[in-house]
Amino acid sequence: MAMLLYIDPGGGSYLVQAIIAAVLGFMFYFKTLWFRIRSFFVRPKSKPPTENDKEPS
Amino acid sequence: MTRNHPDHPASYRDPAGFVFRRNGHVYRRVNRVYADDYRQLMDSGLYEKLVSARLLIPHEEVTEEGGPDGPAGPGHYKTLLPLQLSVISYPCEWSPDQLRDAALLTLKVLRIAIGHGMILKDATPRNIQFLEGRAIFIDTLSFERYDPALPWIAYRQFCESFLFPLYLHHYSRQGTHRTLAAYPEGMPAGTLLPLLPFKSRLRAGVWLHVVLPGRVVTAGQAGSAGPRRQVVFDQRKLLLLVGNLEDILRGIRTEAPRAAGWSRYYSETVMSQAYVREKERLFREMIAGIDFSSALDLGANDGYFSTILAEKKARVIAVDDQWACTGTLYRATAAEGLLSPASGGHIYPLCVDIADPTPASGFAHAERSSFTERAQCDLVVALAVVHHLVLTKNIPFTLLADYLALLTRQWLIAEFVPISDEKASALVRDKPVFHKPYDAPAFEAQFASLFDIEQKQLIPGTERILYLMRKKAEAL
Repeated sequence: MAMLLYIDPGGGSYLVQAIIAAVLGFMFYFKTLWFRIRSFFVRPKSKPPTENDKEPS
Repeated sequence: MTRNHPDHPASYRDPAGFVFRRNGHVYRRVNRVYADDYRQLMDSGLYEKLVSARLLIPHEEVTEEGGPDGPAGPGHYKTLLPLQLSVISYPCEWSPDQLRDAALLTLKVLRIAIGHGMILKDATPRNIQFLEGRAIFIDTLSFERYDPALPWIAYRQFCESFLFPLYLHHYSRQGTHRTLAAYPEGMPAGTLLPLLPFKSRLRAGVWLHVVLPGRVVTAGQAGSAGPRRQVVFDQRKLLLLVGNLEDILRGIRTEAPRAAGWSRYYSETVMSQAYVREKERLFREMIAGIDFSSALDLGANDGYFSTILAEKKARVIAVDDQWACTGTLYRATAAEGLLSPASGGHIYPLCVDIADPTPASGFAHAERSSFTERAQCDLVVALAVVHHLVLTKNIPFTLLADYLALLTRQWLIAEFVPISDEKASALVRDKPVFHKPYDAPAFEAQFASLFDIEQKQLIPGTERILYLMRKKAEAL
């Protein structure tokens, strides 16, 4: 049976989504890469001790 | 009506089924063509998950034998009885917060559906209603089996009916209700783009979801003779797209600007605390002596008096024509703690101009009913609003009385503000033409033809008068 489309996805809507997904994927890849590079060079800041970190007295 | 149509005129579009009314209840028929999708919804655990998270309206299946005298003609598969909603509103009556919550709910439902092998086949704000302060998805037949190789069929519809009105509001701060009244099917990208300021082009979201579709459509039209181009897609890409839309929506400004006209009328303006205190005392005395389970608060502003009505376990429709007021009240009602569940009352804030209420609209004027049809209540409250309608909008007392008698089933509480009052005189300072005489005797004379005036109380320290009226039997 042919797929029943009850709304019109819009001229080029599928192509638009493919382009957007590609751009977002590209941005996501470079963001991840940037965080990896940064974490290699920048030592993570030590967090100040919180209430929960204290030893029970 | 010339023929006895079994289905509700609002639900003719989807071949999967339709809504119909029987014996005062709303039912949803599922057609055989939708049987496989319906089974997947129910058997995959998706329905259970959405309903238990209060994201989807619950329903029960009713058998034709024991159920309503419903249309079980050819193609019938199931008849559903969904939870009945007492207040129906439309996107052209929502504040930007409400539209954004509806958009985020749609994406949340979509995400959960994808995890169960289903997807939303449409994405219109009309799939959402507000129930007890929260958005809830009401179209049980919007789900279909998901093919990960295909992009989202409803993406364009989602952008045009949720994202674009919100983008326009983000830059213009004019609310979204007027946009959606003008474009009930959504605003096309080509219409939105010239209305956005140039700085909006610096946002990646605007470029991706508004500028790019316009370019692709133009390019597509130039070479439209060829076959539809196949695109490579998968679930990871769809989730990236959904995540991006969620991020954009969370960044849209929906709160009121500081100088929003009448917002916070009761809490911050020059009206004296003594006036509000005395008015509240009289108001509480009046509502203590009457029975009502539903109330319509006209010109509700920040909902000060709507909250008092809701404390009486009433369902309150709080109407204001300022989106900022509606938005403030919606945020307050949506936040837990304003009304304890034990109170039983709930507030439904809507952005409606009483001088120009939402008309019946859509195909044959029958898809969406008028505000007047949907808003009738046991009690109508018109505090500090009559002078606006009469002096600013030039609505004569007689027409106003007719309309309020149409809205209320029984009770009316109205405040009369005389011309000598500071707020009333400010309205006519530069606009001297209005219907005269404008005074309490003329007000009473016109309303007395439709209502019995049960109480008349002068608000101490002012010249304002609070009336409790009961609709006459012959006006019912």
